[in-house]
Amino acid sequence: MTALLRYHSALFLRSQRWLAPLILYAALVVVGVRPGDPVAGSLGIAAAGLLPVSAWAVRICLTQEPEASRAVVAAAGGRSRAHLAALLTGAGWPVLAGAVAACAVTATGDLAGTGGPAALLAGVLATTACALTGGAVGALAARPFVRAPGLSVAALLLGSLGALVTTGSPAKHAVASLVGAEGAVRPPWAACAAAVLLAAVTAAVSRLAAARLE
Amino acid sequence: MRTSERGRGPVRLAGVGRRYGPRGPWVLRGVDLELPEGRLVRATGANGTGKSTLLRLVAGVDAPAEGRITGRPARTAYVPERFPAALPFTALAHLVHLGRLQGLRTGEARARAGEWLERFGAGAYAGTALAELSKGGAQKVAVAQALLAAPGLLVLDEAWTGLDEGARAELDRAVRERVAAGCTVLFVDHDPRRLAGEAGVTLRLEHGGVHGLPPRPGDGAGPDPAPRPAAPRPARVSAPAPAAVPVPASMRIVASGGRALPDVLPGGAARVSPADGGGVVFRVGGGDSDELLRLLLAASWHVHRVEPEPAPAPAREPA
Repeated sequence: MTALLRYHSALFLRSQRWLAPLILYAALVVVGVRPGDPVAGSLGIAAAGLLPVSAWAVRICLTQEPEASRAVVAAAGGRSRAHLAALLTGAGWPVLAGAVAACAVTATGDLAGTGGPAALLAGVLATTACALTGGAVGALAARPFVRAPGLSVAALLLGSLGALVTTGSPAKHAVASLVGAEGAVRPPWAACAAAVLLAAVTAAVSRLAAARLE
Repeated sequence: MRTSERGRGPVRLAGVGRRYGPRGPWVLRGVDLELPEGRLVRATGANGTGKSTLLRLVAGVDAPAEGRITGRPARTAYVPERFPAALPFTALAHLVHLGRLQGLRTGEARARAGEWLERFGAGAYAGTALAELSKGGAQKVAVAQALLAAPGLLVLDEAWTGLDEGARAELDRAVRERVAAGCTVLFVDHDPRRLAGEAGVTLRLEHGGVHGLPPRPGDGAGPDPAPRPAAPRPARVSAPAPAAVPVPASMRIVASGGRALPDVLPGGAARVSPADGGGVVFRVGGGDSDELLRLLLAASWHVHRVEPEPAPAPAREPA
């Protein structure tokens, strides 16, 4: 699995396909967060901005390989494991970027009575919840479910928006717990756990569907 | 250094079927097959009979829609017919990644990648970006990735296509080495002379099913009938499924040559007429066209054209 993750990461990073989603994320954070703002709300905005970015990254990782090279890798490393590695790579790098952003926001924001470590923990949990929910959206909006590129991008955008506003979405709960927070910040453990579950179920469905539909 | 794969048992296909999409037509169905270790297995059949699909299933590139495939060794390698890899790696970096995927350590993978590129005369391309390689250069990388980890199962889908003559001969040698080391090699090639007479098992695909055949007496021995090998070990023969994919009913082969051919041609092929511009036209059933081609090439005939028979014009009015 390590070799597959290295392969997909190298593909993602060397192809420079990471650049556009990262720029989008940086823009969202810069526009949405001002140094000196209350830290909880800023962390919530930074986490919410990660959701479409993560969805995009997962779609990139699922579709970046030419068919012939996917076949070669499937034989060498296992078809289903290669699919999982693409999903993990696509969600893993956004989690990392989100964690860095959470650190920066915590460092520059107004703590207003909240402890720095507590705020950071809440921010990282919300970031993870949003990245994994976004990853699930990206997995459902790409192969094997949606093949046509135009439809896939439309599904990605609508899915991301939906995941941010729909009640029951782990991302919405995680963001709401920060943006609406008054007083002490409560770490969104439940939302993060729900997002982990959602991502795991989506990954399993995507692997099965790849075997059936491709 | 080369891993021996002896003692792992055959790769087994039990009731394997494959279709693309949940409602697509079956490309293969009811395939029961054993691919013994240390055997060279050739798959033959007309276009559209599912040769590539069978190879992809055996290699694990595609999952069967029904049935099971067991006994696939940990190190499995697949070479597609075309490897136009627009990947952001150099040839060497890509091979190192693929070596690691097959369980090699980085240093070992790098050393073997260099060795195999040298063997195929592509040592100079090690630092070239994959996207800049010619078709032949990319195919050499595809072949090298399959061989560098000494796989226990090697699946070659017309892997020779696009290679230069030296590299084709080198691939023949490499395949023989792998078979001798206990590797199962399954291959398809359009050239019937490819490794002729060496295949321990020949599979014939038609109408969505797979039939095992003993080694052909004619393989590599010219048109004269050679003695049949004493104990041919056929692949386990499947129950052929009902026709799922239309096979070209018959093929036209235009060829010319001086040497006499046997009176009875494969599949009852008929010499139709002299073709325009010289040569002889043969008409043969789609499933037997490979065999006729093999025979013609073995007799040093020159094959001009192979094409599907045009559909016959409606000959009679409905009564």
